[in-house]
Amino acid sequence: MAATLCSRIFLTKTGWLPLAQSVRHGSKAVTRHRKPVHFLKQKLLAITEYDPPKQAFPHGALAPPTKKAKQESGLERLLKKEVETTFRECKMLAVVQNNASNSEDMLLLRHRLFKHDISIKRFPNEIMRSFLPNSRYKNLLPLFIGQTIMFVSKEPKVKEMLRVLRSSPQMILLGGCIENTLLSQQGILNYSKLPSISTVHGELVGGLTLMTSQTVSMLQRHPAHLSALLQQYIKQMQPADTPESTM
Amino acid sequence: MHFRIKSVWRKGVVLPEKPKLKFLNKVPNFKKAKKEMKRLRDIQGPANGANTFTSGQYAIVAMGGGYLEWGHMEMIRLTINRRLDQNTTFASWRINAPYKPITRKGLGKRMGGGKGAIDYYVTPVKCGRFIVEVGGYVELGEVEAVLTQVAKKLPFPAKVVSRESLAAMHQEQAEKEANNQNPWTFQRIVRSNMLGIRKVISPFDIRNHGRYTGKFFNPDRV
Repeated sequence: MAATLCSRIFLTKTGWLPLAQSVRHGSKAVTRHRKPVHFLKQKLLAITEYDPPKQAFPHGALAPPTKKAKQESGLERLLKKEVETTFRECKMLAVVQNNASNSEDMLLLRHRLFKHDISIKRFPNEIMRSFLPNSRYKNLLPLFIGQTIMFVSKEPKVKEMLRVLRSSPQMILLGGCIENTLLSQQGILNYSKLPSISTVHGELVGGLTLMTSQTVSMLQRHPAHLSALLQQYIKQMQPADTPESTM
Repeated sequence: MHFRIKSVWRKGVVLPEKPKLKFLNKVPNFKKAKKEMKRLRDIQGPANGANTFTSGQYAIVAMGGGYLEWGHMEMIRLTINRRLDQNTTFASWRINAPYKPITRKGLGKRMGGGKGAIDYYVTPVKCGRFIVEVGGYVELGEVEAVLTQVAKKLPFPAKVVSRESLAAMHQEQAEKEANNQNPWTFQRIVRSNMLGIRKVISPFDIRNHGRYTGKFFNPDRV
């Protein structure tokens, strides 16, 4: 598209212009494509490129920036208070690992436990990790790894809880704190097998009054039986005396 | 329910009565339409007007020159109006309705026989000009998606920008100019006509520091 045009320009003022000027017709200044740049201009653009300032040290050589101490948010403080009150009030506390239970199962579990006055509490593991080492429940720390849930209640109803847990196989009992004693899974099972207090009382009383109750039953029988027993007793004592007297 | 704490939001946000983009005419209402010269310099170089924020917070900025036709404007209007939530956002045009007539000769006609008839109208847009401004009780993340969708469809490269990001862009450019380690700059060589380089450089290049070539913009140049 290059055409050479020679034109004569007539001068009206003083000064001079060359008599013949060649005007090249190429593309216009504003094109849709990027126009090919004159070689000299290319060189100019190459020379005058941006040169960023060099850093004194390589990027990794300086010390890494210090991390800011994480501020405790209001929610964390609230949760910590809740954890404290739970530990203080509840006599029974069982840590349970729940593996992929859906909301339906959770609802049923909650219902069953609610009938025995056991509530389910869930706290973030981080809160537990920040709270436990400062309290006397330090040894519960290794239990709170992964998805854990706590069953808390004011009365230690272990048997009912174990029965409920048996029905949901995905809940695994890890351990707990019952009446200020830390118990493992085995410990909790043994605790559940213990008889209740009234039975224990009864047994104790029975054991203490064993002798007296036997005497009472003996006296209540026919006196002939009692006299026969006493004679037998004397006979037993006598052979023991005579060998000793002859010796 | 769509709930925003408006009292907490930044001050100076005023929703206008008509928050949607208004319809722009395809043809300006002249009594007699005049044919105009091509005048491509209305696309060349940086924009002087409409290159700052007025009422909105986010905008689409042209990063190159070009002509916006009525079809583009309709696309912009429909896309943005569809995604606007009238209670929280508003949008406004920063360009005029098409006013520059573009002529075309009929298909298959030979050269000569006068200038062609007016085919359609366009709006010339220079680099750095705002196309649409959006504002209201919204964050950039909500609005960015629509605006990038629109920006990709424009006939020139365009960018979604907020007040802070635009200021940051200008700031970065100024810093680059200040801390350039290269002692040879475009302006220095061309203004003193070193090596007779003025032979291949146009006055337009000198005025724009070599950053603009025709309708194109080179952001890497300092």
